[in-house]
Amino acid sequence: MPAASCALIASRKRRGKFSRASSAFVNVGKVSMSLDTTVAPPLAPLPVGSPTGSPVLRRVTTYFSKPQNGLLLVLGIVVTITTLAPLFSILIDTITVHPGSVDSERTGLMSGYTIFNWSDLVDRSSFVKERLFAQNFWNPTVNTVLMSALSCLFAIVYGGFFAYLVTRTNLKFKKYLSAIFIFPYMMPQWTLAVVWQNLFKSSAVTGGSDGLLAAVFDVHAPAWFCQGLFPSFVVLGLHYSAFSYILIGAIFRNMDANLEEAAVILNTAKWKVFSRITLPMITPAIMSTILLVFSSSMGSYPVPHYLKFSTLTTRYVEMSVNRQGQASILAVEMMVFGIIMLVANQLTTSGRKSYTTVTGKSGQTQEVNLGAIGKWLIASVFVVLTLFTSLYPMFSFALETFLPNPGDYSFLTGGGFESLTTKWWITSENLSENGMYGQLGVLYNSTIWKGFAGQFWVAAMSALAAGTIGTLVGYCVAKNRRSRWANFVNNMAFLPYLMPSLAVGVAFFIFGSSMGIFNTFLLLIIAGTIKYIPFASRASLNSMLQLSNEIEESAIIQDIPWWKRMLRIIVPIQKSSIISGYMLPFMTALREMTLFMLLCSQTKIITTELNYFDEMGLYAFSSAINLMLIITILICNAVVNKLTDASLDKGIGGN
Amino acid sequence: MKKALQVTVACLLAASMLGISACSGDKGTPDPTKSTELTGVAAIIAQAEGMTNQELFLKAIEESNGKTLNGIGNSSRGATAATAFIAALQAIDPSYTGKIEWNQPKNNSIFTLLNADVTSATHNYSMTLIQDGNQIQTKMINTGNLLNYIPKDWRDATGVNVVDNGTPLALQTLSKVFMFNNLDSDADYSNVWSFVTEDSAPMFMGVNSEPVGKNFLYMLTEPTYAGYLKAAFDKLPADQQAYFQNTVDEVAGDVSGLGLEGENAKYALAWIKLWVTQYNEKTDDGPICNELVTTSASGQSALIVYSKLRSVEESTTASATNVTIAAYQDGYVGPGGFGYKHYLMIPKTSPLPWTAAAFISFMVTEYDGFAAWGKDIGGYSANPAINQDHSKDGFIDGVNKFPANNDKGYDWWTSATGGRLVLEDPVYAAKVSANLSDWIDVAASS
Repeated sequence: MPAASCALIASRKRRGKFSRASSAFVNVGKVSMSLDTTVAPPLAPLPVGSPTGSPVLRRVTTYFSKPQNGLLLVLGIVVTITTLAPLFSILIDTITVHPGSVDSERTGLMSGYTIFNWSDLVDRSSFVKERLFAQNFWNPTVNTVLMSALSCLFAIVYGGFFAYLVTRTNLKFKKYLSAIFIFPYMMPQWTLAVVWQNLFKSSAVTGGSDGLLAAVFDVHAPAWFCQGLFPSFVVLGLHYSAFSYILIGAIFRNMDANLEEAAVILNTAKWKVFSRITLPMITPAIMSTILLVFSSSMGSYPVPHYLKFSTLTTRYVEMSVNRQGQASILAVEMMVFGIIMLVANQLTTSGRKSYTTVTGKSGQTQEVNLGAIGKWLIASVFVVLTLFTSLYPMFSFALETFLPNPGDYSFLTGGGFESLTTKWWITSENLSENGMYGQLGVLYNSTIWKGFAGQFWVAAMSALAAGTIGTLVGYCVAKNRRSRWANFVNNMAFLPYLMPSLAVGVAFFIFGSSMGIFNTFLLLIIAGTIKYIPFASRASLNSMLQLSNEIEESAIIQDIPWWKRMLRIIVPIQKSSIISGYMLPFMTALREMTLFMLLCSQTKIITTELNYFDEMGLYAFSSAINLMLIITILICNAVVNKLTDASLDKGIGGN
Repeated sequence: MKKALQVTVACLLAASMLGISACSGDKGTPDPTKSTELTGVAAIIAQAEGMTNQELFLKAIEESNGKTLNGIGNSSRGATAATAFIAALQAIDPSYTGKIEWNQPKNNSIFTLLNADVTSATHNYSMTLIQDGNQIQTKMINTGNLLNYIPKDWRDATGVNVVDNGTPLALQTLSKVFMFNNLDSDADYSNVWSFVTEDSAPMFMGVNSEPVGKNFLYMLTEPTYAGYLKAAFDKLPADQQAYFQNTVDEVAGDVSGLGLEGENAKYALAWIKLWVTQYNEKTDDGPICNELVTTSASGQSALIVYSKLRSVEESTTASATNVTIAAYQDGYVGPGGFGYKHYLMIPKTSPLPWTAAAFISFMVTEYDGFAAWGKDIGGYSANPAINQDHSKDGFIDGVNKFPANNDKGYDWWTSATGGRLVLEDPVYAAKVSANLSDWIDVAASS
């Protein structure tokens, strides 16, 4: 029997011993996402050869005789530079004099460096300065923290409760609800904000014209409901509740039910079972959700922008006109939050060891009976809720592409169906204005299709690069579990994920502009790669940790080269996780806007174009693009599902 | 481990130094002692300024055949003009295969990009179509990063005002005008102060997201325009005067501190303060127009680009007839809106300066070159010969169906007896912006 086959068999036997549902890893179907940045206890290194010469040379030779060591060094350097160099660019920008900005005007300098931006931003020495401090720094900071925290809370409560219902109860329509629940996560996040705006605005409350509810039903929502903090965190919470559902649902599904059953046998009250047993067991998933949703919400620009809420991101864009250096300080502030997230992540994952004893795979899960009526009633409530959060936006997008003017629902208020039009799709010339702002219909609009192709290209290339680098990082880190360097590389590769997208975008904007690669696919792909490496490195690391070294050792004894071991043994065994490490970045990059919006012209990729159409009020085009994106993501999800048996919701309750 | 850290730190330092050197290149003010002898792009511009379009086009063909010119601009219609320009060159030389790649960056990033392009080792952008006189003056002209070019054929054209529109060269003046939904018969917008009454919330783009709006506020403090506001104030009924007088008195003390001149500046400050605290901020003029024309927006008002009205599709709930242009009313007093300009300039590091000069000249001297913008109301070339007449655009089959669309033209809009547009002056805006910008931001947050 060939060595590789032996190893393969050994590996399969070995894998059976591993717990699939250690709370350290949150399995998303076959996609493993974990915030674990520590590495497992070491396995004995395999001595290879016996080099001669000086002790130093011998150690170096021994070290580099293992390909994973050399690879880890190279990857570490690459990941460190590509992650930190843009961050350094931002830091330098905060002390650089910007002609035409206040730093230049007040210091009289046209070039060079100054600390004016730092001192001026926090200056509260006069009434005017006090107001500027509040407007430019304090209020956006407080608003950002509030919005992010409430988004987390909303996402965890809504998504977590839904996850519990799907995984631990006899709820009806599980398959349908599970699939439909993650729709908001597939859409670009601000599209829900636009839908919210168009639904609830009213002339009497927000000024301008009536939205759908006011126009058709004469319902006028209060101002706090239409714009500001409330809709911002609800929209972000809805968007990320799918994320929360996926993370918490994976734990619920694999959770050992023995403890809960024991508690029930001992007549423990239900609330006590939940608070003393269930909740502690899902704490790691909740912490993961908090960290990821908090940092993602904090970096969101379009949602607060459309819903008129001043946050660090919206203020960054506004201040870049004449306070560019101070705007960069806001980006630094967001990055500091990212680093705090990383530290918090370290603390929570290290403390999480205490949970491992209760999260071993049991396989004994028992569904909670919601009652004959309850299972239907609760399911119906969620059917209605998802109708508004998932189906209504889709319906709204489709309908918008047939309205005569953006937001013109005259066909409902007396115009009849003849008011509807197909002009947004089939106009093939721009000689007649036709209310289209000089644009051709979607089917003939080469700008839209070029943007779509551009986005596809960026997503594919970013995924390819991020997937490859991330997989190798995961492999090398798993192979050097005891090494502090491995830990450092692991953290460095994960850092961009916790950095707000806009802050990463700003960093690459400054970096790319100074390197002369602004508005190139190269810059977009580099930014996408760095931002999404964590998807692949997490998936890879988690799966590689499940592989015993014995698998490779038998092949090493047979002198099988490293690349062959990878291609013939490692990759085939962990195929699903590795493919997921490519597909997740792809699907995320396909709908990414905040990260890319400063890096290219507005027509380069479809999401920036979508945002352009939304800002211009051409909702028919933005809606059509939204539909295109959602359909593409659904197709991709189906293809991944077919190829790897993994999908966003599968494995939780969807199938 | 230590070694690895040292290597990492060294690499980071190298990378950051690269960033520093790239960022801190030649950013200083151009040395006037060196300007006597023109070199590089400046020298080419000097030569180009003496050439006719035909001569320039031949130079462009020679320079850029088979190459791609990268243009960057605030208007997406630059791409349409580029297509017409390439066609014009191909009419001269059918074998010409040059291209123009048009880039429209988001919001304010055009200034950062142009500066970065000029200071980086490689240069992409050959020309720009750029707005916001204040930032152009402070970030581009004062640094010498953008050079001005005045085409000969434009300078020689009839009706061109080189002083007003030549430095920097203006492609066009775009107008944003006050308008309101006329379905509420009680709504009275016959005075510019009507837009800042207690219950008024005109729709307008955020002044920090579209800085030309902030420039409009700066320009209101200029003595001529402050005078317009004072004259309008004097026409108000006594009760309204009393209401606004409180604000006028409140801000009067700020005039000298802000370095403003003229006895009427306090009226400008009062109007500005009321405006920034009351306007209803929107993301763009497009959605504002979409809202204003609907029946449900009865009595609402806005200050938006005039040309947006062209894109209204008539329906039972939306119509251009629902909108009245404030300045078109008999007896309207005060500014009817403001005008800002699209400027055409050449980076000092332009890779294809001859082609850039030819393209710019094409846009400001030829009908086809300006047609992308000229076909609409509210946009006026600085060269009257290539403007189109839109005074009857509201007529359908001889009937004046959409009066709001009958553009009265640049001369009417800018006259003291007509629309009294507040025109952007880069030098004045740059002069007052340093202090006034913060004052406006503080006022907006109060």
